[in-house]
Formats: sequence, C-alpha cells, structure tokens
Amino acid sequence: MDDRIVEFIRGLRAAGVRVSVAESVDALNATGIMGISEKEAFKASLRSTLVKQADDFPAFEQLFPLYFGSGGPPLQNAMDELSEDEQNMLQAALSALSGRMQQLLDWLTSGNPPTKEQLEELARQAGIRWANNPGEAQYITRRMLRQMGFAHLEDQMRELMQKLQEMGMSQEAMEKLTGIIQANREALSEQIAQQIGLQIAQDRAERPDDLHSSDLMHKPFESLSAAEADLLRKEVQRLVAQLRSRAALRRKRGAEGKFDAKGTIRFNQRYGGVPLEIRYKKQKLKPSLVLICDVSRSMHAVLEFMLQMVYELHDQVNRVRSFAFYGDLAEITVDMANMRADEAVQAAYHAVPGGSYRTDLGRSLMTFHSRYLSTVDSRTTVMVLGDGRNNYNPSRVDLLKDIQRRAKRLVWFNPEPRLQWSSGDSIMEEYELATDEVYIIRNLAQLAAAIDKMMAHG
Amino acid sequence: MFQNITDVRQRFQQEQYITSDEIATVVYLAQNLCKPILAEGPAGVGKTELAKVWSKALARPLIRLQCYEGLDESKALYEWEYAKQMLYTQLLRDTLRSTLEGVSTLAEAAQRIAQEENVFFSENFLLPRPLLTALTSDEPVILLIDEIDRADVEFEAFLLEVLSDFQVSVPELGTISAKYQPMVLLTSNNTRELSEALKRRCLFLYVDYPTLENELNIVRLKVPNLSPEMARQAVTVVQQLRNMDLRKIPSISETLDWARALVTLNAKEIDQETLTNTLTVLLKYEADVQKAKRMMGDGGSRRQGGGSYGRPNR
Repeated sequence: MDDRIVEFIRGLRAAGVRVSVAESVDALNATGIMGISEKEAFKASLRSTLVKQADDFPAFEQLFPLYFGSGGPPLQNAMDELSEDEQNMLQAALSALSGRMQQLLDWLTSGNPPTKEQLEELARQAGIRWANNPGEAQYITRRMLRQMGFAHLEDQMRELMQKLQEMGMSQEAMEKLTGIIQANREALSEQIAQQIGLQIAQDRAERPDDLHSSDLMHKPFESLSAAEADLLRKEVQRLVAQLRSRAALRRKRGAEGKFDAKGTIRFNQRYGGVPLEIRYKKQKLKPSLVLICDVSRSMHAVLEFMLQMVYELHDQVNRVRSFAFYGDLAEITVDMANMRADEAVQAAYHAVPGGSYRTDLGRSLMTFHSRYLSTVDSRTTVMVLGDGRNNYNPSRVDLLKDIQRRAKRLVWFNPEPRLQWSSGDSIMEEYELATDEVYIIRNLAQLAAAIDKMMAHG
Repeated sequence: MFQNITDVRQRFQQEQYITSDEIATVVYLAQNLCKPILAEGPAGVGKTELAKVWSKALARPLIRLQCYEGLDESKALYEWEYAKQMLYTQLLRDTLRSTLEGVSTLAEAAQRIAQEENVFFSENFLLPRPLLTALTSDEPVILLIDEIDRADVEFEAFLLEVLSDFQVSVPELGTISAKYQPMVLLTSNNTRELSEALKRRCLFLYVDYPTLENELNIVRLKVPNLSPEMARQAVTVVQQLRNMDLRKIPSISETLDWARALVTLNAKEIDQETLTNTLTVLLKYEADVQKAKRMMGDGGSRRQGGGSYGRPNR
C-alpha cells in the first residue's frame, strides 16, 4: 500500500500540487495510524497531510479514485445463468459473428474483461500518448469503445437474439442474457475509463517535466509559450509571497529610527517617569509608487508580469498610481483584486488614448508633466517601464530630469540588453542620464530581483 | 485522549458539535501525529468553536491567542513586568541600602547591584502571554491561534519556530521547553496566503459550509425548540441564500440566530412577512436584503401562487 501512496504522491506532483518529502512522510504515518479499511478516513488522512491549499482539492479529488478506487464494477458471467443447452446455443451463435464483434460479445458474456495487453494496444491506437490530463480519459475511452465495436453493439445484439430465437432459446433466458450484456457493457466502460485515467496520470508522472518553473524563471519573456506563461503566472504568486516576507522582515529589522523624546516621556509616566523603556520614531519605509508603463506590443509580456507583481505587493507600498503610454499618456486604474493580470493589461490598452499608434514618450512625458506632476513628491519612487525606443520623436529628457528631481528615486525597467541600446531608434542612453538606476529585466528572475531591490531602497 | 474516530465524533457530539468524517479524522490524527491543525474556510463555519469543543471533550484547558495586525512576540509570548519590578525596588529600598553598605565608589556599587540582578529578572517578574502559558502549563492544553492570517508575516515566521520545537528562549532565563506538548489549532479565513513552511508543518483542514442535512442536525441540536418542519424550511432558505451572489453569505452562527429568532417570534411558517421581519438577522447588507427579498418574492409567488415560501403545495 505504501508503494501505491508514493505513486499517488508522484501523480499529485505531476498535477501541479506541491508536496514536500516531509509531507509524504506525514501521509505514510497518518495512513499507518488510520489504517486503510475505512475509505473516508483514509482519504481524509491523505488529504489533510498532502494538500495544503483549497485550490488543489480538485486535483486530489480527480486522482484519488483513480489510484485507490475499486477499478470499476466487476463483469458478470452470463454462462453461469444459462443451462447447458443454452450455453451451447450461445457459443454457436457467437461463433457465427465476425471477428471483432465476436471478441466484444465474448468479453461481455463471459465475464472476463480484456487482458491488460489488449487494453494497452487499444489505448495506444486511441492516442493515449497525446493525453496529458486524466480529465481526457473520457475522450480516450470513447474512442477505445468505438474501436471495440460498441457502436454496432445494438445491431449485433439484435442479430444475436434473432439467431438464438431461431435456435429455440427461451424468451426468459434471452431476456436474462440481454440484461447481463447491458450491465457488463456499463461495467466494462467504467473499468476502462478508470484504468485509462490512472494510466494517463501515471504517464504524466513519468514524463520528465519539460515545463520546469525554475528554468522558466530565466527564460526571456518574449520567448514564452502560452502554457509556459500560465505556469509562470502561478509562480509569480509564490515569488510575491517571498518578496513580501522579505520586505516585511526588512522593515522590522531595519533601523529602528530616531530616539523619540516625547514618546519616551509619555510612555514612562507609568513607571513614575523613570525611563525604563525607550521609544523610537518608526521610519516610514513603505514606498509610494508611480508607474509609467509603455504598453506597446513589444512590451506586452513583461508588462503583464510587472503589473501583477507590483499590484500583488500592494500591501507593502503606501499607494500606487499607474499611467500607461503609447502615442500619448493616460492614467490607468488597474483593479487587480477583481481582474487577472492579463485582463488588466488588456484594460490598460483600452485606456490609452488613440490617434498615433507609435510610441512617443516625449509627448507622453509632456502630458504627465502638465497634468499629473502633483502625484510625484519626495516620498515617491517613479518606475518607468519601457525599451527607450521612441520612433525618432523628441526625447524630452529635460522633463524626465524634472520628474526625477521631484521624486525620491526614478528607476527604469528595460527589457532590452545594454548592447542594443544605441541601435536604431533607441535613445535609452540619453534617458539613462535622468534615472537613478536602470534595471535590465529580460526574465522573471531579473524582474523579481529588481523589484526586491527597488522596495529595499524605498 | 481519543481512542478512535468514533470516539472523537461521540465526544464532540456530547458537546453539541456535529463533526464531518474529515474533521474527526484530522483531530484524531493531530493527536497521534502531534501536529498542529490549520483550519481554513469562510468565516462563521465553526473553526474557533472546534477548538473550544476539543478542549471540552478532552477536559483540557483552552488557551487562546487572537491574532491581529501588529501582534508581536512580547504580546504573544512574555513581557517583563516593569511596574512590579519598580514597586519591589521601592519596597526593598532598605535591603538595597544594606547591600550597598560600605561601598565607596560608584563602580563597586554597580557591581554589587549587578550581583543581585537575578532577583529582578526571575520568573516572578515574567508576565506570561498565551504562548508561554501554553508551553509552561502543568497539564496538557489546547492552544488556539485564531485568525493567523491577520498577523504579520514576521510573526508567522516566529510562530513557526515555536511550533516546530515547542520551546522558546528568554535571554535572561535561558530556554524554556514545553512540559506537555500542547495540541494546536490555527484558524485562517484565508485573507492572505500563509507561508508554505507553516502549511507544511500542519495538517490542513478545510471547513466549508455544511450540507443541508448536517446543518439541519446542527439546528436541531442547538435550537431544539424549533419545530422540525420549520427547521427544514429555514435551513433550505439559508442554503439557497448561500448560492446567491451576496456580499456576505450567511454563516452557521447566523442560521442559528435566525432559528432562535423564529422561535422567539413564535413563527408558524416562513412566509413573506416573517422573512421581511427577520431577514436582517441573516443578511448584514441592505443590498443583500433587497436582492434576497426579490428572489424569494418571485420564487415564492411563482411556485406557490401565494406568499408562503418553501412549503410544499397542498
């Protein structure tokens, strides 16, 4: 049984549930205590030790019956119910059928399901190799049943019954036989479906994990496939949790602040004015952010991840104002609580004023400078996300310099490596002069590191 | 100690708590594996109640640590009782003077006082907070750490250390380890993601809203005065409300409040009038109340052609 549990854990991991070695040990201990005789208790002990997130329950519920189910109801043997004469009649009638149908009706009347090899061959023909989720078992099973001749079963049965009637089988026996065949038919499809589901889950667990998240962290944003981006989106959540605890610890362990004379006197009144406990002025380390994002096509992938990260960290910053620019600039309200990151990015596109569809940071900076400059003060960190390619429009670095002077810091996130900066229409080197720091972010690992650093500097 | 799952269920039932198979199993496992339980789920499904009943069923004291933003070690673990120390210093002034007799220099005086330092940093002046109380208790206890998701991340990290070795170090006194390992229940309303390290150390229990039958059992147990038919009607209404898109979904405790309200009002059936009068017990937002009335009004009249709701046609 322990082997089966270990196999089950591998299946869970392949389904994306994070199970540590310590948790596997807990699961084995727990089932050791509970025993396996009571199914509900057994299931509850596995679930409480292995699955620590309500989101992962569906995966558990899907896999549990596959690994620990009965494998479907057993088939009945029709021969036991018939007299010897009738058995002979049935044999004779069966042998008159064509090869494939004979095989099928043999399975359905004898109570012996197809052998493992036969099933594997059928599954292979049905394309089980391409299935990646036990949820696809239904589809594969349907194809297998079709191959086995289930589609013609009704016709064949009518033919068979006719033949048996001609041979002189009693009405009662025929009805009994039909009933058994029908029941076996249900049972067999159930058995096959469960077996196929299990096989898909096991195959998935065997398969080397080509979508490994730690490798993906270092893969450039623009070369991510849709599936990989989905996986990374999940990864961002974990990453953000890490960043958050680091930011919180930093705030806790960071300098305690200046001596607070007023507070100390007031607090120590209770000890008769003897200063037993010293109070400090806590520094406000939570930064306020102003985001200015380029939402042109080329920035799509990186923009989505950055917005997601910044907004998931919202409790670690005082406030965030975001602006998007393309041809011109507009404020975007990103409601991350009610929207997925990719939807929010779509919403951002719609918020940007139309007209010129060529990136123009110069003009956007003018808009920002005239309308939104009040959002920037000495406690604000301004984040600009862009590739510094301005379609040969005027750069207006002077405005960016002005913003930098007002802000606490101005940092620039650029997805292009430094080597490409002076090529074509890139004027990044010019803009760099008006920034406190430029972070190159080509992948998620770099993005996380950059955001962490930015939070540290405040 | 519980003998087996059935024992858990029976003893909980005696304390008027209906357990699902899962809850009974997890409680039994927590006892035998000596692991904390992390109970997660919507508010008002009886997570905190579980700890209370657990302590009653085992006749062990319950120690509760309510978490909130800004909770830190000194409030959760221990504090030095400065005021008491001050008072003692004042009272013992004469003794102190005799200790300092014949001292000529300040340095010597400081040294003598330093020798007596232990007196002031002894357990006499230590004010234990819930965690330390649970660890130093002379009998096994149930420790309830309520709404851990409201505490800060750094407190969670600190808690992790306590829960893994069940010992804490007080710099002035040394390490204090638990005499009896307490049984721990952490609850979370999932307002934020807890750290994986904490989850790894716990048995995970997801407590959801009960099924119709279970909720009916709870109502029968807790509000025995309500007639069975009324109870069924009331629970059906609540279950339907939970499927609606409301700002705040009614919890079990609200179902019970409502049931009690129905008993008090001596309602014979749940008709439009009763609903209008009592719906505010279940729903806490005006918008929700309006929405529910609209739904009930429509559904009720269409189905039965009259005002009464949830009764079969006669």
